[in-house]
Amino acid sequence: MIGRIVAAVAGIGVAGGLGFLAYAWHPAIAPIAPPASTAFSAASVEHGRVLAAGGYCAECHTRRDGHEGAPLAGDYLMATPFGAIYSSNITPDPETGIGRWSQAAFVRAMRQGVSRDGSNLFPAFPFDHFTHMTDGDIADVYAFLMTRPPVHSVKRENTVPFPLNVRLLQAGWKLLFLHPGAYRPDPAHDAQWNRGAYLAEGLSHCGACHTPRNAMGAEKAGAAYDGAPVDNWIAPPLNGTNPTPVVWTEDEFFQYLRYGVAPLHGSAAGPMSPVIHGGLSEMPESDVRAIAVYLASLDQATGRQGGDAARLAAAMRTSARDLTGPQTDPDARLYAGACAACHANTGATPVLGRPELALNNALWLSEPTNLYQVVLRGINAGEGQDGVSMPSFYHALTDADLARLAAYLRRTRTTLPPWTDLEHKAASVRATLPAPPVAASH
Amino acid sequence: MGKLGRMQASPDRLSRRGFLMTAVGAGVMFGFPAARAAQQFPAAGLPGDGAFEPTIWCAIAPDGAISVNIIRAEMGQHIGTALARIIADEMDADWSRVKINYVDTDPKWGLMVTGGSWSVWMTWDVFRQAGAAARVALTEAGAHLLGVRPDQCTTRDGAVVAGAKSITFGDIVSRGRPSRSFTPDEMAKLPLKPAAERRLIGNGDLKALDIPAKTDGTAIYGIDAKIEGMVYARPKMPPTRYGAKIRSVDDSAARTVKGYLRHIEIDDPSGTVQGWVVAIATSYTAAIRAADLLKVDWTPGETAHIAEKDVLDHGRAQIGRKDGGVYVFNDDGVDAAFTAAASTIEREYTCASVMHYQLEPTNALAFEKDGIFEIHAGNQWQTLILPTLAKALGRPEDRIVLRTYLLGGGFGRRLNGDYMVPAALASKALGGKPVKLILTRSDDMQFDSFRSPSVQRVRVAFDKTQAITAMDYQAAAGWPTQVMASAFMSKGVDGKPYDQFAIAGGDHWYDVGAFRVRALSNDLANRTFRPGWLRSVSPGWTSWGVESVWDEIAHLHGKDAVQFRLDHLTGKGRNAGQAPDSVGGALRQAAVVRRAAEKAGWGQPLPKDTGLGIATTSGQERGMPTWIACCALVHVDRATGIVHCRKLTIVVDAGTIVDPDGARAQTEGAALWGLSMALFEGSEIVDGLPRDRNLDTYTPLRIADVPEMDIEFVASTEKPTGLGEPGTTPIAPAIGNAIFNAVGVRMRHLPVRPSDVLRALTRHDDAEST
Amino acid sequence: MTSFRLNGHEVSVDVADDTPLLWVIRDEIGLTGTKFGCGIGMCGACTVHVGGRATRSCITPVSAIQGADITTIEGLDPAGAHPVQEAWKDLQVPQCGYCQSGQIMQAASLLKDYPAPTDEDIDAVMAGSLCRCMTYIRIRDAIKKAASATRGEPSNG
Ligand code: FES
Ligand code: FES
Repeated sequence: MIGRIVAAVAGIGVAGGLGFLAYAWHPAIAPIAPPASTAFSAASVEHGRVLAAGGYCAECHTRRDGHEGAPLAGDYLMATPFGAIYSSNITPDPETGIGRWSQAAFVRAMRQGVSRDGSNLFPAFPFDHFTHMTDGDIADVYAFLMTRPPVHSVKRENTVPFPLNVRLLQAGWKLLFLHPGAYRPDPAHDAQWNRGAYLAEGLSHCGACHTPRNAMGAEKAGAAYDGAPVDNWIAPPLNGTNPTPVVWTEDEFFQYLRYGVAPLHGSAAGPMSPVIHGGLSEMPESDVRAIAVYLASLDQATGRQGGDAARLAAAMRTSARDLTGPQTDPDARLYAGACAACHANTGATPVLGRPELALNNALWLSEPTNLYQVVLRGINAGEGQDGVSMPSFYHALTDADLARLAAYLRRTRTTLPPWTDLEHKAASVRATLPAPPVAASH
Repeated sequence: MGKLGRMQASPDRLSRRGFLMTAVGAGVMFGFPAARAAQQFPAAGLPGDGAFEPTIWCAIAPDGAISVNIIRAEMGQHIGTALARIIADEMDADWSRVKINYVDTDPKWGLMVTGGSWSVWMTWDVFRQAGAAARVALTEAGAHLLGVRPDQCTTRDGAVVAGAKSITFGDIVSRGRPSRSFTPDEMAKLPLKPAAERRLIGNGDLKALDIPAKTDGTAIYGIDAKIEGMVYARPKMPPTRYGAKIRSVDDSAARTVKGYLRHIEIDDPSGTVQGWVVAIATSYTAAIRAADLLKVDWTPGETAHIAEKDVLDHGRAQIGRKDGGVYVFNDDGVDAAFTAAASTIEREYTCASVMHYQLEPTNALAFEKDGIFEIHAGNQWQTLILPTLAKALGRPEDRIVLRTYLLGGGFGRRLNGDYMVPAALASKALGGKPVKLILTRSDDMQFDSFRSPSVQRVRVAFDKTQAITAMDYQAAAGWPTQVMASAFMSKGVDGKPYDQFAIAGGDHWYDVGAFRVRALSNDLANRTFRPGWLRSVSPGWTSWGVESVWDEIAHLHGKDAVQFRLDHLTGKGRNAGQAPDSVGGALRQAAVVRRAAEKAGWGQPLPKDTGLGIATTSGQERGMPTWIACCALVHVDRATGIVHCRKLTIVVDAGTIVDPDGARAQTEGAALWGLSMALFEGSEIVDGLPRDRNLDTYTPLRIADVPEMDIEFVASTEKPTGLGEPGTTPIAPAIGNAIFNAVGVRMRHLPVRPSDVLRALTRHDDAEST
Repeated sequence: MTSFRLNGHEVSVDVADDTPLLWVIRDEIGLTGTKFGCGIGMCGACTVHVGGRATRSCITPVSAIQGADITTIEGLDPAGAHPVQEAWKDLQVPQCGYCQSGQIMQAASLLKDYPAPTDEDIDAVMAGSLCRCMTYIRIRDAIKKAASATRGEPSNG
């Protein structure tokens, strides 16, 4: 599942007066007769398909809880701090979908977060990013969506309470946080960088997960890509504050985004998996490379790379620690029994497919959340490194075991201060899983 | 009637072939060549039509194939190969034609037990005689076919030879149809080959017959047994081993599990399992989940709050009292010697609970077919569990058959066949429908028959020249044999029965003047859990007391620990040994001590905080001693208390070594068990149950913990004794003694934990006081 | 319905998504060479290859291996003669044998990562494979023997 945008719902208190109302009010755009699929060029539809993948439309517009919904038919549950929001049906069904939306209505929604009928959309829909797309790209996404099979599907009612559910108030949020308009290339950078920035800031909306949000649920100004909690995981920082010993370089980013595994940082898991395997995998390699270039510039990889060799060597020295020679520390033995077969590396660099924990974000973030998530859930063959999987230790390890493991790894594989309250945190991460992933027993 | 006739008389006996076809079918589908799939049929050793069976122990088929009937369970000792060598060597068989046949229970086999390191020792005479019988019968028939007199013939590599003429055993059977059979008396008089003429016994080049199937997935263990239409079961374990009563069962949550069929409250007339509920389902995963979801309300048994310390304290109190217990030895003059002593020493040693953790969790497949209850499982003591099953099922023993599969580890766990009972009773409750009951690891460990915690107290009296005048050795522990097989208990000198497997080793071979050995059954242990036989049974822990105190005395009196042992292993009096099992007595023990010390470099200077320690035992029982000595080289980290065992030097005299590579393998494994129990594993009773339920907290030795090992066998032509367990026995005390030699602290509790060493190091004076 | 390849054959099984791969292999498909030891991913008896990497099947839900390539001990080599298996037979590694399918699968995968493994490599990677019969000395030797056989070098034992 993709990272859920913590829905910002309200601009309460910031809005007032007629001027605001004038700003907030949008007319409905007249419904149209659903266009025939022949109305769109094949090239446009195909390009739209790739863009829709790169923007993860299906991720948030396909129901997953309870039962598997039809693709793009909406009703995807987003649990926000303000209540449940269900995504809308974006198949061209005339009654329940966007079949009667003109292209102009679609462009307005993408750029301004306004529905065809003139109501404001919750910013759970990342129009604050999509606004940066070009007209042509938005038109192609429209072409793609309008040529999908229409699905009649009524979404469940949102449970966002009054007054937050007053959609008019969303306008206040936009006034503060929406910077509409297509991306303008930065002349200080080359075309590849600008292409990467265009995709990352717009279509692929990286910041939606990786930038922390303010009290009103908008991405915090001045904290872009500082990392943020998302869906009970932590989206790690993508800027210079990323704590892993070895810097995320262009090549690491590229391998990760293209193949789901970065040789020096490990596999994609959790909400990041579909970003890669369901989204970016459809995009041309050059686009993924461009995103990698942009992200590597964000985290100032070039400037920070100097100590990498030494830090890599230091981390690798810890990898087989406590594994060679007799061992009586029960925590080290827990690690040896449960983890080492797959994670121990004895060479100068990690073997691909032996994700090196000493280099992985999971141990270096300020909380053990991602470590616990991965250990409890495991990783499917379709996530992370293609075709390989990690088992689920949900029934294998108790909360006390998880706490011991986390403390041990943090102590022996990082140079950071210990995590606290580990057993309790293990229980709370466990509680976020909808069901045990595997029907095993202790 | 031989096996062949029996099989023809009841074709259903071949039913095992039936289930294996299921697996073979899958095998073919998923790409095994048919030939490899066929290996899955474990009865591959069955003779064909027209085979000659000179005794019940082997059959020679007309094509020359020889199948040897093995009544011992295969659990890693390659026992079939070892025993088959004995028979095949004596009959001069062609080894490449020998197959092994693990048999089902039948009264004709006599005592079916695999434990105590007994198998080779118990079978040695019988199989040599059976081999001689086959040789004699084949020679007679072969001579006839060759037209010569039997005394003109010799045998070699599966043929009878007379000068330039020869005929193979197969041809003799197919053409001569020999039919001679032998009474036990006749067999006992047959001439046996001298040791110098043996070609298979002691031959290090032969490979174990069971190994190839254990490398390609075709070996079939109890857990792999299948039959058409079987359902799966997993027990829901009550809160105490004994006395738990079911008040109510709520399966409403379990009913949401797809595949869950029902639950059964097990009512066991044999009392083996008490208060068990079993979840029945169409798949094992469904049974696992359903059992997790069953809500059972029990009244627990009375031991629900017993802790390890309670059991140890109870044992201490028993030792402290004059009454109770059984005297294994009680020489005249013990008390007088203590009264007259110039000095005495008294020490207490304790050992924690140890779990089996045999890698295959206990399981059994049970069903009724044509009036016979069949139970398919890995098991080490069929003769013991059969009467219990008869009682549980309420039917005579001859209406029950046990089929033994390969064991995924025995180590004594499967001497106790308790796990068969709930499988059989669940099947009975379902009208004889096949039920495959598998315990998850936590289920298995919760009611493991684990090694009881134990207390030993040793007192020694000295005269004014520091010569030992008396020893008083007492040990209290749970008594497995009393609980599970009371008829097998030995009698003490006071005529009372005692569990020799809960005291053996205390009755050592040292000269100590007047000697008293008193064994105490820790009834609190017996009531709280089901004490088990665990690899090396009591010599695995009595050695901790005996060999530690021996070192303590040596140090106290400023003697060399090796020489001090040699001085007291003189082979005099009761320690002289007896033919054929203990020829040479304690002098053979002295020899292994001397050799181990020499090999390990005893007496040479060592780096700081490093020590060499020695220990020696007579293996399992005085009646069949395997003489063994071990030198352990350890380093102790004074800052952390971590003991690192660097090297184990082991010398063994087990008489004739039948299977040299197997002997080495058994000794490697046994010694590492000893190391594991000394430094890495060990549990504790908490609230009436073992604290550890799986590998997240239970930590047996793993590959990185293995030290360098140097193992040597003494060349010998004496009767073979045992090898499965003796290797375990000297390790812990050798390590304890080495720790003392390294840093001067004396450890008296097993396992030795770093925290205990550290604590001892901080009050160092403890080491030398009397 | 989960589909995957098992020992080179396309397989589809209709079991609950959370069913452990181990029991799918053993009970649904009927290949019993893969063993159940601890059920918590800490003994290695259930080790199979998923996408060529040694994986504990006892706690891997079948849904996690949708579309993947699975190899069990039965499929490691058509004749049971993988260099690791040959070394295992030569040095008579197995005792009870129950852990050995898992040991062999783990060792075969180890040799792909470390074709000339040292004792340290072996200790680290085989750390999760428990042998209660304690055949460790021979496991170590056999891995080295298999490694040199694979490289075509004579082994010093
Ligand atoms: S059974 Fe899977 S690791 Fe033990
Ligand atoms: S050979 Fe028995 S567990 Fe390894």
